[in-house]
Amino acid sequence: MALLELRDLTVRYGGRARAVEAVRGVSLTLDAGETLGLAGESGCGKSTLAMSVLRLLPSSATIDGQILLDGEDVTTMKWGRLRAVRWTTAAIVFQGAMHALNPVRRVRDQIAEPIVLHADTPPSAAAVRKRVDALLAQVELPAAKGEAYPHELSGGQKQRVMIAMALACDPRLVIADEPTTALDVIVQAQVLSLLSRLVAEQDIGLVMISHDLAVLASTCRRLAVMYEGRLVEEGDAKQVIADPRHEHTRSLAAAFPTVGDPVFRYAPATSNELGLPDPPSAVPDDEPLLRAEDVRVTFTGRGRREVTHAVAGVDLDVRRGEIVALVGQSGSGKTTLARTILGLQQATGGRVLFEGEPVPASAKGLRAYRRQVQLVLQDPTSALNPRHSVYESVAEGLRIHKVGGDERAHVAAALEAAELRPAEEFMPLLPQQLSGGQRQRVVIAGALALEPRVLVADEPVASLDASVRGEILALLLRLRAKLGLAALVITHDLGLAWNIADRVAVMYQGELVEVGPVDEVLSDPRHDYTKSLLAALPTTGEQ
Amino acid sequence: MSDILTPTEEALAEAPPPTRGGGALRYLLTKAGGGLVSLVLVIVLGFLLFRVLPGDPVLTMTRGRPASKEQIAELEAQLGLDKPLIAQFFDYLWRLLQGDLGESYVFRVPVTQKIMERLGPTLLLVGTATLIAVALGLWLGTRSAWRRDSRFDKVSTSVALALWSTPTFFLGLLLMAATSGWFPTAGMVNSDTPPDFFSQAVDVAHHMVLPTITLVAVVYAQYQLVMRSSLLEEMGADYLTTARAKGLRDAMVRRRHAVPNALLPTVTLVFLHMGFVVAGAITTETVFSWPGLGLLTYDALEKRDLPLLTGTFIVLAGAVIVMNVLADMLYRVLDPRVRAS
Repeated sequence: MALLELRDLTVRYGGRARAVEAVRGVSLTLDAGETLGLAGESGCGKSTLAMSVLRLLPSSATIDGQILLDGEDVTTMKWGRLRAVRWTTAAIVFQGAMHALNPVRRVRDQIAEPIVLHADTPPSAAAVRKRVDALLAQVELPAAKGEAYPHELSGGQKQRVMIAMALACDPRLVIADEPTTALDVIVQAQVLSLLSRLVAEQDIGLVMISHDLAVLASTCRRLAVMYEGRLVEEGDAKQVIADPRHEHTRSLAAAFPTVGDPVFRYAPATSNELGLPDPPSAVPDDEPLLRAEDVRVTFTGRGRREVTHAVAGVDLDVRRGEIVALVGQSGSGKTTLARTILGLQQATGGRVLFEGEPVPASAKGLRAYRRQVQLVLQDPTSALNPRHSVYESVAEGLRIHKVGGDERAHVAAALEAAELRPAEEFMPLLPQQLSGGQRQRVVIAGALALEPRVLVADEPVASLDASVRGEILALLLRLRAKLGLAALVITHDLGLAWNIADRVAVMYQGELVEVGPVDEVLSDPRHDYTKSLLAALPTTGEQ
Repeated sequence: MSDILTPTEEALAEAPPPTRGGGALRYLLTKAGGGLVSLVLVIVLGFLLFRVLPGDPVLTMTRGRPASKEQIAELEAQLGLDKPLIAQFFDYLWRLLQGDLGESYVFRVPVTQKIMERLGPTLLLVGTATLIAVALGLWLGTRSAWRRDSRFDKVSTSVALALWSTPTFFLGLLLMAATSGWFPTAGMVNSDTPPDFFSQAVDVAHHMVLPTITLVAVVYAQYQLVMRSSLLEEMGADYLTTARAKGLRDAMVRRRHAVPNALLPTVTLVFLHMGFVVAGAITTETVFSWPGLGLLTYDALEKRDLPLLTGTFIVLAGAVIVMNVLADMLYRVLDPRVRAS
């Protein structure tokens, strides 16, 4: 008997009259101990599918078809039986562990909660404690971390806690919903291998959901691709990736470039008719536009002698019209360096030069400087004020910097530059009326409105869908070709660097361990750390 | 939020594990210091505010009685009102430092004595009413948010809003009329009640019924509405889905996970308003002639009793400040995230 069997599953949201079908007639089976990857973009219904297995959908959703979990139909279970099945037969590793953990309770208590809840006889406190310690040990966390609150843990640690929690009641099925999306490559590789190992050791069935085919291919034996609520392709993972039959599978595969493959160099996946500019002939070798000289940032622990060298003497240039990728994992100091370059963080040593002049420390001088060096944030949804129209969001910078002239014309030009056309139609819209990619374009338009010389982009595509990712990267390339805009892109995504950057700077423990042209550094890494970053990339199994 | 604006993730990964309680004293001192600064401002304001009020206290005191110019001048000299404002101010400051708020013009007793005498009844009335209002408001708010748009939600929210927008004095009068004769409508004790503790307590409780109901009805709405909206904000949170997925019953999801988080913003408001409730009791106490600080303030205002007014002003404003500092402290205990930052 199959562990999980979906028979013609359809999930609708909203009333019967205006129902939206999120999942349309999906049939799937998963045997005990088997691993299945479920791929697709946001909105394709993959998360709805996952949530329907434990009937966790909001009350506006209606389910048709059957969901057989261990032979028992979940859709017809009584509430009491359903609660008993939840977490004991199937458990979920939720996406975004930051929000999936209760912020005001210690993680130990959160892991222990289902153990106590599902025990036949109330277990002793000591037994629970022992069990939680064992679970923490399984996910390679020290027992002391159990006393921590979620905000005291790093992203990887939180995800480990989620995994420990999912395993608490020895479930036979684990559903992992984008378990590594917010994590950097190295941590992602660690979490994936941990999950694969535990699943194999304990003979657990795994359904892993992701938009990243490489992640799925490296953990799952079978692969299913969803598109607009339907299952469009299913089969052996290696085979699906090597020979995708559905065009959506192909575009998903193309969205994540293979580092080292010349096909993807300066060529993010885009279907925009504007196409891609020609790769730059040679890196212009004139005076750097933005220059960090021996920048040091040291954090001193509160009232103690602990000193953290977040940035330990960094030299970095960004030349005119050049795209530089600053890569490194969380904690490498790359964010602190970017903050320092933007003047958001006081450097403890060294200096930052813009056009040969030191960046001023006065509020007024900093304002003038920031007009030249604009910031693009990772998540456009939180970067945009949900109550400001597109026009207001773009015009805000103009007003702060008291840019004269026709405000409407400036905004229209910026929206045009960010390829939101026709600009007039976008102006009155609110962020919620836009897609993720359009929102990020609005953020970019807001930066472009001030006609900056440099964009500092912090993970500009990390929160975007696979298909949009390529479009935004292509936009950056076109902006560079058209406006000569330089960019410093902070990312943990080596594929992004391979897609668009001219030079790459690899940061590790506060220092730049390797700086050079992308082709050289990523094809022939010198430093061990760069090598390990490259090795941590999930592979589709082709190489 | 992005790391680049709030570098939490990086600091976490780089920094050694945080030690709890280390910054507690520092936090406490910062908050207490902030409170102290506010208090100093209140003291300055308390002096100035009532001296720019129109009306001459001496004229008010001598109203209806024939007073010669000499008598008025003598009275002014006695009260220190003939000195320049700045000298009066330093006089006031110097005495305040010694814990002396001056002597009431009307009652002819030290202001501190009068305030202490009236503090008990106010604390009793306001304390009881606040406890009931908070409990009622939080319970109703939780229930109405959890079953949003249900009949319970709609009815209880409208009732709360209606009561909140009713003027206090009107509500008080309405209650008096509606319950005519069941409850005493003025004062705190009857003069003919036996002096033993039990009889006294019953009589006070009997007198308290109407003012308490009035005060509760007026203030519980804000607790309900804040609790409701803050719980509604938490309702979509992912950790509630996690809790449901673990197999928790709906009531447990609410009690263990949703409410503790939703309480956080509510706590600040509850404490902040406790300070205001002390001041807000002015109308209620006046309507029911409850011998508390509110009634004292009302009397002082009517009679232009400057020292008494300044005194009650400082006490009431001080209550708001102290409650605010307490709220910050409590928030720190309740929310581990505040402890870290």
